[in-house]
Amino acid sequence: MKKIKFSIEGMHCASCASNIERSIKKIAGVKEAKIILMLKKGIVETEDSVSLESIKKAVETAGYKAIKME
Amino acid sequence: MEQNHEEPLEDKEITSWKNKLIWSWLLTLPIVIIMLSERLFNFILIEMPYSLIIILILGFPVIFIFGWKTIKSGIRGLFTFCFNMDSLISLGTIVAYATGIFYFTGMVQDYSGISAMIMAFFTTGKYVEAKARGRASQEIRKLLELGAKKSRILRNNKEIEIPIEEVRIGDIMIIKPGEKISTDGIIVKGESSIDESMITGESLPVDKNKGDNVIGATINQDGILYVKATKIGADTFLAHIIELVEEAQGTKVPIQKLADKITSIFVPVILSLAFLTFLNWWYFSEDLSKAIGISVAVLVIACPCALGLATPTALMVGSGMGATRGILIRKGEAIQTMKEVKTIVFDKTGTITKGKPEVTDIYTLIKESELLKIAGSLEKLSEHPIAKAIVNKTNLKRYSRVLNFKVLRGKGVQGNISGKEVLIGNRTLMNERKIKIKDFDNKIIEFEEKGKTTMIIAKDKKIIGIIALADTIKDDSKEALKLLNNENYRTVMITGDNERTAKAIATQVGIKEVIANVLPEDKAKEVENLQKHGFVVFVGDGINDAPALKQSNVGIAMGSGTDIAIEAGDLVLAKSSLLGVVQAIHLSKATFKKIKQNLFWAFAYNTIAIPLAIAGVLHPVIAEIAMALSSITVVVNANLLRKSKI
Repeated sequence: MKKIKFSIEGMHCASCASNIERSIKKIAGVKEAKIILMLKKGIVETEDSVSLESIKKAVETAGYKAIKME
Repeated sequence: MEQNHEEPLEDKEITSWKNKLIWSWLLTLPIVIIMLSERLFNFILIEMPYSLIIILILGFPVIFIFGWKTIKSGIRGLFTFCFNMDSLISLGTIVAYATGIFYFTGMVQDYSGISAMIMAFFTTGKYVEAKARGRASQEIRKLLELGAKKSRILRNNKEIEIPIEEVRIGDIMIIKPGEKISTDGIIVKGESSIDESMITGESLPVDKNKGDNVIGATINQDGILYVKATKIGADTFLAHIIELVEEAQGTKVPIQKLADKITSIFVPVILSLAFLTFLNWWYFSEDLSKAIGISVAVLVIACPCALGLATPTALMVGSGMGATRGILIRKGEAIQTMKEVKTIVFDKTGTITKGKPEVTDIYTLIKESELLKIAGSLEKLSEHPIAKAIVNKTNLKRYSRVLNFKVLRGKGVQGNISGKEVLIGNRTLMNERKIKIKDFDNKIIEFEEKGKTTMIIAKDKKIIGIIALADTIKDDSKEALKLLNNENYRTVMITGDNERTAKAIATQVGIKEVIANVLPEDKAKEVENLQKHGFVVFVGDGINDAPALKQSNVGIAMGSGTDIAIEAGDLVLAKSSLLGVVQAIHLSKATFKKIKQNLFWAFAYNTIAIPLAIAGVLHPVIAEIAMALSSITVVVNANLLRKSKI
């Protein structure tokens, strides 16, 4: 298990947050995805096999940009 | 420490909305003037079709340049089925703008002026909302910026100033009066009083000497301190607090669940509703233009934001208010649960009392020094606060050899000194070992009635003496209990002490009920029993009573400074004060009340506004203004939480 944190650019409404959450949860191995609208941040708990890249892509699919990933 | 020197995203967002807002209105105002003079005063400023051409030219940049981000995100959402708020606004404005072009074909009436106005109002709304949201997170942002940026350290006997990121564990930092302590550490030289209010909410400075721990980001007030860095970067106390507060924003408050469900299907539902409205009006009124106008109003009036922001904004403001007072909300759920709480259970040691017992009386039949030598030698091997207090009191230079030492959890200790079995412990232990207390009973009762914990020392199955210890009650415990009792909470104290000692202390602080003689591992079970009569808050230090904290409906872990179990409890107090518990309860209740208010407004708005728009009684521009106001109201209302008395 690992925790991935990142900031999200372009997110400004509640629907955005739920779109991103849904998109990330589709990745196999993601246990939990919290999107914090107020801080424009995401905290994702995943199995070790999940790559940063795949989460970045999932955020992009929903129409936003993940930055400052760690 | 994670340092963020760039402009925070929030500020960037506010600036960007502001610029768009100014340009949008500069271009939209002439459109408004042309339209109003025509509609209201019947004064034709510019003849058709020139007026329409001007409106289309002015409106284009408002929608497609300054509103491009919204349009792009909205259209993208429509095509990828990741619908969002922008999808509604984009569709509304583009349809309205298109009527201006199709006007020339004679098919429809012109709504193009409206489209620029919708976008301008949308931008204005977003700007105000972003600002209000920034305000909602101001305390938390302050917390993020609290850490020191630089540190003055001693290297090769020279003082040098280095960026905080370069400080290593073991570095000696020099902190002058008035300066921020750069990172967590231990004082190796000097003494001073330290202002820890930014972390613990405790307004009085704390005196610290050599050997004391200090927290990074707190402020040294008087003396020069030499501090050895013990924690850096993400391991510091401040970093942990920040992480906790941030993660708490992602936890769900159960009452938000319905709103979240609605938000996630909101946009597609509205899109369908708008489409049905359009078909319906077109079919029944046979007026295409009217049908378009009304469905545009439906598109732009609907706003999931008020629903989606209701809880997070209030939680954010509540968390921030808590953080400045040393109250950390770890789970959003706790603030909802708090409303139902009937019983508050306090652990005694370290919660009601300071947790630092001191020997007050010694009573013995043998020589006192001899008793102390036996007691000190045995207790030296235990880590328990009572043992430490006894060892401190005896102040022995040399200890006797102890064989077969054993800790009897919740009862005492035992061991062999010069071939004789020695026991130090409470009544339970003596009874268990069938040792007669008789001759000492009156004395023990006398101590217990004063709220003192009595340790009985037995050698060779015979009592040789007793040592009484008292743990000072914290200054504000009494006041806090008075407040809670006035609010009709059932207050209970739980302790390993015997009944008489426990009752004496409970009476001193004003606690009504006592559960005494509880072994540490049984605290959770006692909490479970109390839960049969309603929700229970458990207040403890989070170190020895983690299971009880977990078992309770809301666990409040309390400590001071770095001595807190930050991972335990639903709420964490960084200050060691029972008044903090009262504040935490008030804050939770006030925050939850705000959330309920916000959700009520958000639901009420959408259930009234959308049907009105479908019924065709709202002009699209009015609809857009209402939409913008709905989400602004929610955020502004959340900010009003600061007005409530905690």
